[in-house]
Amino acid sequence: MDLRRAKNRIAARLLGMFPGLVDRWARGRRFAQEGAEEGAGEADPWALLPKPLARCRIALVTTGGVHLRSQPPFDMRNPDGDPTFREIPAGTPRGNLVITHDYYDHRDADRDLNVILPLDRLEELAREGRVAGPAPLHLGFMGHVDGPLVERLIRETAPAAARRLAEAGADAVLLAPA
Amino acid sequence: MGLVARAIEAAGIPTVSLSIVREITLQVRPPRALFLRWPLGHPLGEPGRPAQQRQVFLDALGLLESARGPGALLEPGYRWRRHTYPGESP
Repeated sequence: MDLRRAKNRIAARLLGMFPGLVDRWARGRRFAQEGAEEGAGEADPWALLPKPLARCRIALVTTGGVHLRSQPPFDMRNPDGDPTFREIPAGTPRGNLVITHDYYDHRDADRDLNVILPLDRLEELAREGRVAGPAPLHLGFMGHVDGPLVERLIRETAPAAARRLAEAGADAVLLAPA
Repeated sequence: MGLVARAIEAAGIPTVSLSIVREITLQVRPPRALFLRWPLGHPLGEPGRPAQQRQVFLDALGLLESARGPGALLEPGYRWRRHTYPGESP
């Protein structure tokens, strides 16, 4: 592992230990959509549940860097991150899922993936009839995206992800950050 | 992540986002967010604590049904490691 990756991981552990640092860091930055100025006045998106939850298939989206062991890992070399996503088919055995993400401490998520991607909880709620079941696919992003790659996320990869979920027949989506 | 939520919502699929860093959520404005003042990397709580994870999931689903317009932000106020969830012994 190179020095930069090691430093990122140490920083991630510190941020995990002191949540107040995260707030302070976030207050000094701008996270609003890059196109916010040009699109000023553009309405916030809003969609209604198409049917009762008990008949909805739910997709999960995580930015915790989850992907299949067989898929290319997220880019940990580019300091601006990686705006791409990985498709996680419903029913993928847990042992086939791994986390590539140096910017948060994922030791707890490695022990129990449900803390960032609640696949087991979703299956339980489906068995109880609270939701219809998982959508055919879930998505993994790696939440560290910065600089010019934010624009690529907004223009390309996030809309592509949305299209994939729509094609797969997801009725509603739960997103969880790292 | 809020940017991804907005893109999915714009494609016609309702979304609910868990939020750990309130400042980012306020700026990015995902359509619906459940805010938890918990450590990074733990949006659904602690490993091996299914009752807690389940409660967060249910709260999020509830927000899908109850929110009436964009920018809905719910704060259940669960304290990290100091809250007992349904199904757990106190």
